[in-house]
Amino acid sequence: MGLLTPLNLLYALSLVALVAIYLRARSRPTIEVSSLMLFEEIPAPVAKSRLLRLDALFWLEALALGAMSLAVAGLYVRSHQAVGPNHRHALVFDLGAGMGAVGENGITRLSTARQLALRIIAQAPAGDQFTVLGYALEAEATHAAGSQAPDARKALAALVPTAVAARPAALRAALIHARAADQIDLFADRPPPAALIDDAHVGGRLIFHKVGAPASNMAIVSLDGGVPRSSVGRCVVRNFTDRPQVCELVIEAAGREVFHSKLVAEPRAEIVVPFGPLSAGGIVHARIATPDALAADNQRWALAPSIAHQHALVLSPDAAVRDDLARVVLAINRNFLVTAADPARPDSFDHARRYDLAVIHDSAETGVNAAARLLIFPPPLSRSHGVLVPATHSVAIAELQERAGAGILSAPVLLGAARVIEPPAWMEPMARGVGVREHDSFPLAAIGSHNGDAVGVLAFDVRDHLLLDPDRMDALVLTIDLLQRLLAPRDVMIEPTGTFVTVAAGAHARVTAPDGSMRPLEADPWGRVRFRALESGRYLVTSNGPATAVYANYFDAGESDLSAPVPATERPAPSVATAGPSQLSVRPIALPLVILALLALIGESIMLAQRAVRWRAAHV
Amino acid sequence: MKEMRSPLATRAFEPEFLRKLDGLMIGTRRARTHRAGQRTIGRHQGGGIEPENFREYAHGDDLRFLDWNALARHDDLSIRTFRAERQLEITIMVDASASMAVPSDDDKLGLALTLGAGLAFIGMSENDLVRFVAFAGGRGASRLEATPFRSRRETYNHFRPFVSGLKAGGETRLATAAGELIENRRVPGMVIVISDFLVSASDYEEALGGLLGAHHEVKVLHVMGDRESTGNYPPGSYRVRDCETGELRDVTFGPTASEACRRRLAEHADGLRAFCTRRGIMYAPAFGASHLDETMTREFPRLGVMH
Repeated sequence: MGLLTPLNLLYALSLVALVAIYLRARSRPTIEVSSLMLFEEIPAPVAKSRLLRLDALFWLEALALGAMSLAVAGLYVRSHQAVGPNHRHALVFDLGAGMGAVGENGITRLSTARQLALRIIAQAPAGDQFTVLGYALEAEATHAAGSQAPDARKALAALVPTAVAARPAALRAALIHARAADQIDLFADRPPPAALIDDAHVGGRLIFHKVGAPASNMAIVSLDGGVPRSSVGRCVVRNFTDRPQVCELVIEAAGREVFHSKLVAEPRAEIVVPFGPLSAGGIVHARIATPDALAADNQRWALAPSIAHQHALVLSPDAAVRDDLARVVLAINRNFLVTAADPARPDSFDHARRYDLAVIHDSAETGVNAAARLLIFPPPLSRSHGVLVPATHSVAIAELQERAGAGILSAPVLLGAARVIEPPAWMEPMARGVGVREHDSFPLAAIGSHNGDAVGVLAFDVRDHLLLDPDRMDALVLTIDLLQRLLAPRDVMIEPTGTFVTVAAGAHARVTAPDGSMRPLEADPWGRVRFRALESGRYLVTSNGPATAVYANYFDAGESDLSAPVPATERPAPSVATAGPSQLSVRPIALPLVILALLALIGESIMLAQRAVRWRAAHV
Repeated sequence: MKEMRSPLATRAFEPEFLRKLDGLMIGTRRARTHRAGQRTIGRHQGGGIEPENFREYAHGDDLRFLDWNALARHDDLSIRTFRAERQLEITIMVDASASMAVPSDDDKLGLALTLGAGLAFIGMSENDLVRFVAFAGGRGASRLEATPFRSRRETYNHFRPFVSGLKAGGETRLATAAGELIENRRVPGMVIVISDFLVSASDYEEALGGLLGAHHEVKVLHVMGDRESTGNYPPGSYRVRDCETGELRDVTFGPTASEACRRRLAEHADGLRAFCTRRGIMYAPAFGASHLDETMTREFPRLGVMH
């Protein structure tokens, strides 16, 4: 019970006025009589009690005023109401990787949640409407509102867990989407943060169903193939349980095993497993052969660089920049043969050679022939191999704010000078930044494919050893990511799950998911198809041209921890019993209060009329 | 203490009101004639102008009434008797205390004065000597206002200033007023007491007993107002104040209180009536100014008024 507008309770001061009026009226008027011998005096005790026992008219008027004041103040009651017919239910499902965990009974957590939901649907009166919502990276209504139970059952059957971590923003969006429902049933394997529930304003109608028991899980955290014939690869495995676990790790490269052993992992510890060096580059696949609760994080792919010697060209008017960039290129693949040259001296490099990689810093088109090129701090209207990356103006100091793979940085990284570029439509941004004391952000990095050649651009200057500055490590990471994507094979891609994958493909492209399902993809005007990899495993994109394999890796420390307790800093949302469909609702009672006030006034009128008749008074 | 004039009293001098009183006379238990040589209650012993009878002379008779003609003709001693003069004194005592003006819309004083004037008019039609005496208690003493005796109808209007100008005020000191009246040592006559008698029984018993003891023929006209007699007060809680004593009392008016008020008035009136009956006093109630004509028709005969 509460008040919607407590300030309006000031109207209750009218009760004070009423009491004052009655007290004044109760001060006995003095009338003069011929003699007291005709009148009996009322005994004193009775007279005292009469002072307090106000007549019914007062109570009726006080009741009317009180009821009206409470109605204006918006009195409401909060009560559990049985869900009646034609109520709207929203069934919200966590579709994160954790919901795909298999329990001891052999069914997934999502299946358990589905059974609970089916029970709710079965118990609901006929005519109730259901909305089925799923959330992981984003909220998605798998079934629209207003559907009947049979349709809702079909929608439940279509729910599948994804190999991504459920984002709180997606849960918030799902709850906001479900806010119109009379009852919201949330099925998840961990309680939502209370602050998030408060933000969505669904606290009174939300029923949380926690599904799944704590389970043991081993996961491959990372995989690095190393440099073939040069350095060992590493595979990191983590034990997410509170007891030692035995797992069988298998690592394959180029179709044959390079590592196969049983490992004993200490409770909640990581094992770094070295292997190799590999004899050749290519796809490296690591997998945990021992079955556990969550399979999505039991395999991982990595790409080992080729062992073939590759030629790289670094062009920059600044010798220090040439040196820095050459170090970065060699750090990526020490099989590179790097040629550093000054663009002012065109004879310093071989114009006839087709380089595997060309890194061009602050230089215009110089007729470099390269399969992949990275333009750094491109001059305005620079044209590189027929590719125009226009730069509108320059800023003295730029800040790196957002980077692909890291999202919005917690603290912007102060860079040097930058040129504001306008990437063509066939390029996709990889980082964004803003000029100091400016508001509009602009791309700081972009990558794309043009006529079969990979082209990347970095808008900021890398002079003054920017890439080697430990305080500005994000600039180096961004540069390495961009170079690795430029050097990646065209037919093989390794991406984390949940990201949009852009693949060069022709018409009639289609993608085959790891579970074998196929779906067509529509290419954009630049011959690219995009899809989001939500399962861990190998996707295959086929079209008229050569096929491209996309390996999606999944790992999330929070989601993979299937026995994780509720974080101490987050207050768990109140859990409501799943048995019996009921909801906590806020119900204003203004109308009953107004009716009560009217009844009181009618009663008062009747009493006044009776008194008028009794005392033969023409008016009251 | 409140003083009020009575608007109803002016009706006592309207011709229409007086026409209703024509032909009426007040009956009295005492003979209006007296025989010469005997004790009479008349003021003038043996006086009179109207011959009544003859009788034989007896020793001791006044020789002035000897019929000398009969003696000369028949040598018979006979005494002439005459009807006595009308010497009945009628005193109309009107209560002029403050209680006669409360409740104001009842106009008890006006009712008392009108009835008293009517009785005076009837008495004057028989050439009786009539006077008004108004009594009320002042500060520490009784206030007694009296008019001169008047005996003829032609002088009836001389009472108008008294009747119209009488104001109510002061306490009801009935016994004191009766005592003062007796002390005037008038000859015994008729005393008509008109009051609400809202005094203690001992007070009116002392007053009426004193008048009887002074050999007056006493008649009582008990006057009450309409609201008083019905107890019809507006409902609610009030603090009532006695208009004469100023005493306060908390009362809640309602059906029960009205019933109690009527009951107490009935008990009081019954007590007064019973006392009057025991002492041979004619008692007549006059409850309500709205019933003036009805009261005169129905209650005046109880006071001995006859055609």
